Amino acid sequence: MKKKALALVLSVAMMATMLSACGGNSGTSSTDTSSKTESSSTETASSTDTAAPAEDEIAEHVTIKWYLEGSNVSDDTEVMAAVNEYLGEKLNMTLEPIWGTWGDFDEGASLSLQSGDDVDIYFTCSWTTNEYSQYAKDGYYVRLDDPENNLLEKYAPDLLGLIPDVLVDGANVEGASGFGVYAVPGYKDIANQYCWDVNVTLLEKYGYTLDDVKNRTFDQFGELFETVKQGEGANFFPLLPESSVIERCVNRVAAIDDNGLLSYYFNPENPSEPLSKYGNVLQNKFATDEFRTFAEQMRKYYAAGYVDPECANSQTSTETRKAHQLEGTYLIGVQSYAYGYEAQASQERGIEVQFVPCEDPYIDTVSSRGAMMAISTASKNPERAMMFLNLLNTDPYLMTLLEYGVEGVHYTLNDDGCVVFTDKRADYTPWRNGMGNITILPPQEGEGVGYVERFKEYYGASHMLPTTGFTFDTDPVETEVAACKSIVEEYSTALYMGSAKDGMLDEMLERLDGAGMQKIVDEANRQLDEFFKSK
Amino acid sequence: MSTAAVNVNTDLAKKKSARRKKTFMLTTMVLPGAIWLLLLRYLPMFGIILAFKDYKVYPKNPTLLQNIIHSKWVGFSKFKFIVASGNAWIMIRNTIGYNLIFIVLGLFFGVAFAIMLNEVTSKFVAKTYQTLMFFPYFMSWVVASYFLYAFLAPTNGLIPNMQKAKGVPADQIIDWYNYKKPWPFILIGARMWKGVGYGCVLYLSAITGIDSSLYEAASIDGASKWQQIKYVTLPHLKTMIVILIIMDVGKIFNADFGLFYNIPMASGLLTSVTQVIDTYVYSALMSTNDLSMSAAAGLTQNVLGFVCIMVANTITKKIDEESSLF
Amino acid sequence: MSETTAVSLKRRKRRINAVSVPAETIIHIIMILFCLFCIVPFIFVVIISFTSEESIRQIGYSFIPNEWSLEGYQYVMKMGTQLWRSYFNSFFITVVGTICSVLMCVLYSYALFRPDFKYRNFFMFISFFTMMFGGGLAPTYAVSKQLLGLHDNYAALIVPLLFSPFNIVIMRTFFQSSVPTELIESAAIDGSGEYNTLFKIVVPIAKPGIATIALFNALAYWNDWFTAMIYVRDAKQYIPLQYLLIKMQRDVQFLSQNSASLGAEAVKAAVNLPAQSLKMVLVVMIVVPITFAYPFFQRYIISGLTVGSIKG
Repeated sequence: MKKKALALVLSVAMMATMLSACGGNSGTSSTDTSSKTESSSTETASSTDTAAPAEDEIAEHVTIKWYLEGSNVSDDTEVMAAVNEYLGEKLNMTLEPIWGTWGDFDEGASLSLQSGDDVDIYFTCSWTTNEYSQYAKDGYYVRLDDPENNLLEKYAPDLLGLIPDVLVDGANVEGASGFGVYAVPGYKDIANQYCWDVNVTLLEKYGYTLDDVKNRTFDQFGELFETVKQGEGANFFPLLPESSVIERCVNRVAAIDDNGLLSYYFNPENPSEPLSKYGNVLQNKFATDEFRTFAEQMRKYYAAGYVDPECANSQTSTETRKAHQLEGTYLIGVQSYAYGYEAQASQERGIEVQFVPCEDPYIDTVSSRGAMMAISTASKNPERAMMFLNLLNTDPYLMTLLEYGVEGVHYTLNDDGCVVFTDKRADYTPWRNGMGNITILPPQEGEGVGYVERFKEYYGASHMLPTTGFTFDTDPVETEVAACKSIVEEYSTALYMGSAKDGMLDEMLERLDGAGMQKIVDEANRQLDEFFKSK
Repeated sequence: MSTAAVNVNTDLAKKKSARRKKTFMLTTMVLPGAIWLLLLRYLPMFGIILAFKDYKVYPKNPTLLQNIIHSKWVGFSKFKFIVASGNAWIMIRNTIGYNLIFIVLGLFFGVAFAIMLNEVTSKFVAKTYQTLMFFPYFMSWVVASYFLYAFLAPTNGLIPNMQKAKGVPADQIIDWYNYKKPWPFILIGARMWKGVGYGCVLYLSAITGIDSSLYEAASIDGASKWQQIKYVTLPHLKTMIVILIIMDVGKIFNADFGLFYNIPMASGLLTSVTQVIDTYVYSALMSTNDLSMSAAAGLTQNVLGFVCIMVANTITKKIDEESSLF
Repeated sequence: MSETTAVSLKRRKRRINAVSVPAETIIHIIMILFCLFCIVPFIFVVIISFTSEESIRQIGYSFIPNEWSLEGYQYVMKMGTQLWRSYFNSFFITVVGTICSVLMCVLYSYALFRPDFKYRNFFMFISFFTMMFGGGLAPTYAVSKQLLGLHDNYAALIVPLLFSPFNIVIMRTFFQSSVPTELIESAAIDGSGEYNTLFKIVVPIAKPGIATIALFNALAYWNDWFTAMIYVRDAKQYIPLQYLLIKMQRDVQFLSQNSASLGAEAVKAAVNLPAQSLKMVLVVMIVVPITFAYPFFQRYIISGLTVGSIKG
């Protein structure tokens, strides 16, 4: 009886194989091989500069599916009607966006990719599950600058000219079809600048000024905390930390990978250089003297009652932090800065908020890949997808339509040409920074005229870390990475927040050693050396 | 041929066709389920080989199946991460240990409560109890964890506040989410809270199916309540109990992820008493969603569980054929 | 026996066979304690759902909030037509799904229960095997979506949950405990066909078991959100209630966990999302309807004392 069952199971599995093969997608067909000359880079955006594609290339009407992240869209009928009318004229295509939300994108997009769904364009970046470099390596994304079929050259000659070189450099990765660009980078907030988030109203209440914060190092904050805590009472917690972010503020390290295991120390005075103590060598984040000092200091602050114990619990820490921020019940917190944020923060929290930077803004690989659009290898129309992306990132009309909605319905333009949203905006709220080149958008009311110029200036002046463009390929050490990640997760919150017990750091380091941490560090440095040699 | 012989032959033929008809009819009954199983469970089974391959996209024909077929065989290398953290022994001990306790206690309380409910005079009251007991089953572990947190939270929780009110000094107030000892009890309590109502319904339905004339006869024979339970109720529940135990044994390497992840609020410091195979796999693969490694982990749990259930089933067959799974 | 004699016999039986009063009191005490243990968290959830956000920020979750408020419910009501559509979807899916799945289960289990079914062991094994081994999420998704067309329609939400090997075993066990095989034999001798025997004779006896399975299946359908999350992507009108509500919670959670990567953007986005009292409002809205359905099933599960057919 059992043998029969097994035999049936096997034959069914074989049948499954045959059936699926019959119903599978046909491969993508390559298009014509004529190449256009590369256009020179300029910094201006103009829709009229976009060359229209040749007639025969858009002879067939296609539908392009586009999987987005972070959307909050319940009604897109009006917008899509206008968009598809425009796209029908220009490119003879229909756009079908998939409005993935924060909560379901990770699972949905990676499942879609892994099972070869008929989606053409996917949002990708350095922090979602369909992580850019890994998925490029696994073969999910089309290589856009493939020498045999350079889609970027052929169909998006203007696109790259509008974004900073650093983004294009950062998009280069070792993928399944060689070293190249596998997604179109999005021009949005791209630099990192970690700051101390200061409640100036409260600070001044106790007779301090912002300079007191600027001129002190982390361990010297203690006096401020003590004074304020005495004044505000036992239930007031002056320090509002956020996990790994606070360590970056104190130690001036950049994250190299998504796993939180490695640190790159840069020179805080000039982030284009490494910290001379370490040079261009990656460190085991937790094994350095700096980290130990930091952890000890946090423990002292926690023991003195400066940190809310609820923050030390990873599940509730974000809610707690948000609550304290909105109530204004903190003195100094941390923030990863985005240009122009203090005005909004002050308004939301009802206090004066200022951000004291810990270093100049810098760009690294992770931040340069904050938002990208990749074309799936399972797509049947990669050329049309590329055309669409080109139009999207260079045509203000299309971008504004997709980001802000229909003028007069979802927003109106005030006298300065700034966007003022209407109530209908609540029905159509995509994630602005997750679509592409936001510098071609009109400014919003709160941002003010000239915002785009200031934005470009701020990010244009950012330093580039020496490691920009380097991606750590974890495949050779995937076992060790998985094990170490799990170990780190056990201890990290306690260490970052200061609630760790005596000897915990040493315990963790020992276990990491046992799980092969050194192997990971060595492999990463080996790859980094090769990266520098090839530059 | 004589008439008798002809009759016998026709009788035999009739019996045979009656049997064939019966088999045919019964087979049509299993057909819907069998088709469902074929399409939704057996067809996707080709995915099991993922555990042994390094999954990469096959650019010429990027469907899932083709990708799998063209990926490289890598033997058992995708399985290594499961035991690489140094915690493997703790994980396995926790997973199996907790599951065993859950099986035993869940069985005890489920059956005991079902028997008790059955003895309650007022049917209305019994129904009310049963409805209330079932409520925890409706709630997800996420919600349950918030409730527990309200009791145990460091600053605002009910219990720390009570301790503060009593004047317990600050460093002696228990920091629940960082203190290991009580957690095995908390987790077991939480699991009982959620599962007993469910088990009780199952056993109660089974008890209701017992012919009351059996109780009648027993009580006329002078049997006490306990004896009636021992000799009438329990034997009738035996099959259900044994089968549930066997199936639970099959899942002994699979932990209730929701319970172990949410209730301790993923507090890293409690790991040695709260980490199970499923939470480890989740934290190791969280940001990569690596198909091969998660397939490897799943396959390991399944194979181990399968071995256990076959053993359990064989043992049961030797003791009491009817109660075995198959 | 006449009606009245049977009834009075029943009553007498009850008095003869009942437990002693002290014993029953102890039972009541134990039951009440456990029921409190079960129900208090839910009451707590209801209280929080009527708590204002301010109060939660100030003193956390509490049985006695600083301030009561309806803001959580108001936020949910703002969803308007989508909310009612989702309620309808959930009801529809639960009702249709429960009926179909119970039918499938009863048919399959009944055949397995019959000791004289030639292929009994085979079908038991193929069902049980899938309980132990599976292809994984991605292959199942690929087959369901691409091969079987299960996406963006009601079928996508009903079919994946139609069959449960666990329930098959339970149902078969119910049959074994409550249906004597002599009954089947006598029915066959009387010339009853298989389906007739099943529906006219066996089902009435096995009502408690069937009702139990129906309850479990109904709950499974009502609570399911994962299926909706992965199979309903383009056609929003099919979203069931659970998923609509869980979506909100997951959105907030993701932003929370990734704020280090997303930075200021995450905070900006998160501020607009509903907060803590909302989570509890969602729980209340999901649990309350199903508790109304529960008594319906219960009627069959705790049936009267007399059960089973009386043989002549």
